[in-house]
Amino acid sequence: MTNEQKQTLMRERAAALMKDGAVSYVIGWRETRFPGKTAIFFVRDEKDADMLVWDEYTIPLTAKYLTENRWPDKKIGIFARGCDSKAINRLISDNQVERENLYIIGLPCEGKKDDRCLSCTQRDPLIYDELLWEPENATGTSETDLQRARFFRAEEVESLPTDARFAHWEDVYARCIRCYACRNVCPVCTCRECYVDMHRTGFQGKHHDAAENRVFGVTRAFHVGDRCIECGECERVCPMGLPILGQTQKIIKTIEGLAGTYEAGMDPEADSFLGKFDLDDKDTFM
Amino acid sequence: MTQKLLLKSALPAALTALLADHAVFAPTGEAERHAFTCLSSAEASETADAVNLDGLTTISPKEILFPRSETLYGIGLENGEISTPEPTGPTVIFGVRPCDVRSIANLDCSFLEKGFVDTAYVQRRENLTIIALACKELQSPACFCDSMGGGPASAEGADIMLTETADGKAFLVSFLTAKGEAIEKLWETASVLTEPNSADTAPPPPVCTLKVDKPQDLPAKLMAAFDDPAWERLSESCLGCGTCSYICPTCYCFDIDTEISGGKAEQLRCWDCCMFSDYSRMAGGHDPRPTKKERLRNRFLHKLAYFDERHGRTLCVGCGRCIAKCPSGVDIAHVIEWGGTL
Repeated sequence: MTNEQKQTLMRERAAALMKDGAVSYVIGWRETRFPGKTAIFFVRDEKDADMLVWDEYTIPLTAKYLTENRWPDKKIGIFARGCDSKAINRLISDNQVERENLYIIGLPCEGKKDDRCLSCTQRDPLIYDELLWEPENATGTSETDLQRARFFRAEEVESLPTDARFAHWEDVYARCIRCYACRNVCPVCTCRECYVDMHRTGFQGKHHDAAENRVFGVTRAFHVGDRCIECGECERVCPMGLPILGQTQKIIKTIEGLAGTYEAGMDPEADSFLGKFDLDDKDTFM
Repeated sequence: MTQKLLLKSALPAALTALLADHAVFAPTGEAERHAFTCLSSAEASETADAVNLDGLTTISPKEILFPRSETLYGIGLENGEISTPEPTGPTVIFGVRPCDVRSIANLDCSFLEKGFVDTAYVQRRENLTIIALACKELQSPACFCDSMGGGPASAEGADIMLTETADGKAFLVSFLTAKGEAIEKLWETASVLTEPNSADTAPPPPVCTLKVDKPQDLPAKLMAAFDDPAWERLSESCLGCGTCSYICPTCYCFDIDTEISGGKAEQLRCWDCCMFSDYSRMAGGHDPRPTKKERLRNRFLHKLAYFDERHGRTLCVGCGRCIAKCPSGVDIAHVIEWGGTL
C-alpha cells in the first residue's frame, strides 16, 4: 500500500469518526510551509480531515497532546504508530490518561526519514481500537533487524575516554538555551507543574549558564530515564541540535545491565522500573 | 559616500586591525553552532577557518547587546559592599545580516525610548559599531524580510555596509556613519582597503520567496480579533517551549533572579519567554494567560500589534528563524496573513 493510499484511508476514517460524533477531535498530522516538515493537527470537523497527511515526514509524536485534555467530555481520537502507542501505554500506566477516553487508530509504521527511526524497536502499534492497515512486517523490530544499534547515542559517548566524555557533556550544557522544548515534547514528562516553573523555590535558577543548564539536563534525564520510550523527540525538537537522547539511553542500558530486558511503554499495566517497589524488599543496605 | 573595496584575502588583516581596540563579534561555527562569538586574535588572523559568513546564524546577535544573563549588581554578604560589573569597551559586530541589524532598532525602542534609558544597555549600545553584510543569496526559504519593511540589501541601522562582489572575491564597503568612518580610518591605516574598479560590482540582491501580505492596519485588525476562535487553531500544535523567543532577534523579555554564592548575592537579568507557564503567573497563583492559546496570542499580538502601537514598528523583522526552527509548525507568517483576511 502506498503512502497516498494510507493517507486516503486516514482521511476517510477521521471524517467518518467526526461525522458519527464518536470522538471530539482526532489528533494527526498536517503539512507545513516546508516540504519535509509536518506538524500536529487536530481534526475538529469532517472537512478538516482532508488536511491530514501521511508520508515519510510525519514524524512528530501525537501522544503528548493527550495530556492537554485529561478529562475529555467525549473520547479523543488519536492516530498512533508504534512509538505513539508506547507513549500512550506510559501515559495510561502513569495515570495521565484513561484508556476509555481514547479512540486509538493504529498505524503500522514503515519508518520515517529521521535518523532516530533507524533504531526503532516497535514500528507497529501495541494498543489500538482498530488497525487502519495491516503491518508489513512482524510486530516489533528485532534487535538484529535494527539499522542502527538501539542505544547508538549512549554508545557514541561510551566509546570516548573519560575526559572526553566529560568534555562532551560540558559542551552540551554550555550550548543548551533552556527553551525546554525537550521537556515539553516528551510524552513521559507529565508533571502538572514542572519543578523549573516553581517560581522562587530555588530549585532551578533563571540564570542562563552551563551550571544551571546542567541542573536542568541531569534532572530531566533522571526524572524520565526509566520511563523513556526512546522515541527521540527530545533531539528532534532541540533547536541547538544537542544529542540528549544519549542520557536516557544510558539509563535504560544500565537498567538492562542490572535487571535484564527492559523497554518502557510496552505494556499499559507495567510500572516503570524505578517506580515500583515491594514491601518485602529486604533493604539490606539500610 | 565613497565605496571602498575589501578583498576577502585582506579580511584577516581587517579583523586584526579592529581587534587592536575593539572586542570583535563575528559568526563562527556551522549548523546549530553557527553563532556570533567574540573573536580571539588567533581566530581573526585565521579568518578563512574561523569566521563563517554563509547563512543566518542559529541564534541572533541580540545577546551582544542583551545578554542571556547579566549581573546588574552584587552585594557582599559580610560587608554589604555593592559592586557593579565592569563596563564593556568598544565593540564591533561583523557580518550582521540586514534583518538582524533592523532588529537592533527594535531593541533600542525597548531599552532607550519612552522616557527610560536602560543603563546597562545604553552603555553597550553607544560602544557598538555594526558592520552589516548584505545577503547575496537567500539565506533560507523562511526569509521574508522584504515583506516586513526591510530587504536583503537594506543598510538601515548599519554603520558600515558590506556587499559581496559578483565574483565573490571581495566586499564593496560603504561607510555610513561617524562610527563607520572611524573604522574606515583604522582600515586605511592598516592598508586593507583598495579602490574598486568598474568590474567590482554587486549582483542584484535576492528576492525573498516567502511573500507575506502585511496590511497597513494589521495591529487594529489583530486586536479586534482578540476573542477569535482561530487562536485556538493557531496554537494547537504549539509545545509552549521557548525556541521561538530565544532564537528571535527582537524578543527582549527578561526576569530578574538572585544568585547567592561565594559570599556574594548577585542580581541577574536573565532572558525569559512569554510562552512559559511561570511568566504571567501572579502572586497568589492566578494566571491571566493560563493556557498556550492565551500565551501564543499574547506573543503574536505583542510582536504585530502592541509594539507597533507603542513604538510605530513591528516587532518582527522577517528573519524567519522561528518559522524554520519551530518544532511544531507554528508560523508567524500565517498569523500575519490571517490578520490580513480579517
